[in-house]
Amino acid sequence: MAGFAASALLLSTSVALLSYELTRRSLLAERERTAIRVTYFDATVVQSGLASERPDIVDVLRSLDTGAIRRPVLRRDGTWYARNADAGVTSAVPESLRQLAEQGRPGVQRVRVDGHSALAVAVPLGGSTVFYEVHSLQELEKTFRTLALVLALVGGATAVAGAGAGWYVTRYVLRPLTSVATAAQEIAGGDLTARLDPATEPELARLASSFNGMVDQLSRRLERDRRFAADVSHELRSPLQTLAAAASVLAKRRAQLDMRSATAVALVTDEVARFQALVTDLLELARGDQPPERTAVDLADLARQVCRSRGLPADVVRVDGAADPTWRVDRRRFEQVLANLIDNADRHGGGAVAVRVGHAAGVRYLEVDDEGPGVSAEDREAIFYRFFRGRPANARGDSDGTGLGLALVAEHVTAHGGHVLVTDRPGGGARFRVELPERAS
Amino acid sequence: MAAVLVIEDDDRIRLSLALALEDEGYAVREAPTAEEGLIAQRREPADTVLVDLMLPGIDGFECIRELRRDGDVPIIAISARSDTHDIVAALEAGADDYVVKPVEVKELSARMRAVRRRTRTAASPVSALVFGELEIRPEAGEVLRHGEPVAVTRTEFRLLCELADHAGRVLSRQQLLERVWEYSIGDERLVDVHVGRLRQKIEDNPAAPRHLVTVRGLGYKLQR
Repeated sequence: MAGFAASALLLSTSVALLSYELTRRSLLAERERTAIRVTYFDATVVQSGLASERPDIVDVLRSLDTGAIRRPVLRRDGTWYARNADAGVTSAVPESLRQLAEQGRPGVQRVRVDGHSALAVAVPLGGSTVFYEVHSLQELEKTFRTLALVLALVGGATAVAGAGAGWYVTRYVLRPLTSVATAAQEIAGGDLTARLDPATEPELARLASSFNGMVDQLSRRLERDRRFAADVSHELRSPLQTLAAAASVLAKRRAQLDMRSATAVALVTDEVARFQALVTDLLELARGDQPPERTAVDLADLARQVCRSRGLPADVVRVDGAADPTWRVDRRRFEQVLANLIDNADRHGGGAVAVRVGHAAGVRYLEVDDEGPGVSAEDREAIFYRFFRGRPANARGDSDGTGLGLALVAEHVTAHGGHVLVTDRPGGGARFRVELPERAS
Repeated sequence: MAAVLVIEDDDRIRLSLALALEDEGYAVREAPTAEEGLIAQRREPADTVLVDLMLPGIDGFECIRELRRDGDVPIIAISARSDTHDIVAALEAGADDYVVKPVEVKELSARMRAVRRRTRTAASPVSALVFGELEIRPEAGEVLRHGEPVAVTRTEFRLLCELADHAGRVLSRQQLLERVWEYSIGDERLVDVHVGRLRQKIEDNPAAPRHLVTVRGLGYKLQR
């Protein structure tokens, strides 16, 4: 809107200045022509007056009907003659004009008399006689002032009108588009309930309804995909329960089996366990984009519990400085974040050597360090993808895990408005770091 | 030998669970429906009951309510869904704990042992703890209110004893999960639902409890 007002002001000012200047020039030229014509006429009268015997020059000048706007003077043989009332006018005739006229050439020059602009016209009458007339331009100046005032008013009005147009455009044309952009942003950010209200933007009713239709379709599709993943996992649970129980019966009798059967039973048992973990992780992923149920959780305490449940000493968990280890997060999901990071360190990094909770510069962080081979720079993003399998030389996702552990970590952390990254641990190994903005934790 | 009743409509799951639990040393009784399970339990009570939540006819939730009306037998709900709604509903119906399919038999066995415990872990030889009109007798396994016995389940009793042992002090939900359910990490809703059930039995006004109070952000405590 300010832009509109500024350009309207610029445009109207230029137009006003231009018209003022053009008008001023043409009026001045017109006035000059008139002044010359009138002066020549008066000069003719004076000349005929001077033609008589012993003329009284002042009387001749007085006989001119000049009104108040033009004042005649005469210079003859180096002497000025003027009407009594016009006595001071002689000084208004500039030297340059006088010299020109005394050489026999007529001339016109703009001068200032008593603080007003005027026009001095010189007409040589032959011999050493020159007739001058000083025409006041006071009237014209008044006209110019009026003109300037009118143009300034018009310019101001145009600027105001421009601002008004800008306001209108912003209010009725651009703002609805802003709300479309905002809604699109919300949807991209995961809020599938964002819609446009066609009633509040009647001009954009069609855009709003097709936009809403598109989002409806998108969210239905996402919902269908999510339900499919959940349904598949649910349907897998029952046969898996049977397999798990039956496998445990077989495993109990491994000692009584021959080598080949025992190996086969061991394979079945292991794979059933992995299958179970996979289904659990898939289900977790299927509902991962739901909003977290936040409560106050002592993260250091939770980390110690996770360590204990995995037979790790609880003193690998440290709180950095005087940081408050209480975060507002979904307890179940952060337990999984910790468990998956610690299991990952165990599987690929020779076990977690440090788990740190702290905060710095508006960010709460959680770090899990290991002393393994680390993660190569090109894998540092891909390692959080689902079913990521590391390069052979540096395999992190091998056949032990589900391939979903770190993807779940990323999903849980993202659902909390944070992010997770992996860097090098000083002294060797990998460092996984979860960061949550302070206000969101 | 401890007897367990498995109420599960899926034949294969029921059979495999029976085999595996027998390996763990249980005498297993099987029922494919809630109706049959309730009759079997009334005729010859088992020490623990496992109830699948999705049963034909009478569903798992109603089955748990019926079992609870009959007595304080430890009940573990088996859910095919980890949805919040189902699990809280099963706990509110009276289940002591829950597992989600597929569950490892070792884990299930550990859960069963935990809910069957009759007395608390940290036994202090105190015959009675008094909280106003409330009297807890840890050794006898009794709770009296205004001198009248109150029917509490074993899990509720263990929870109450744990809080009574630390009278006036706050216990966090995780501490209670560890001491009452033997979870190193568990679902805090177990504690919340059991506290709610206990309040119904021991408080004059369960909505504004005087003895078993919530300490916001920290946990629960029992006071006079």
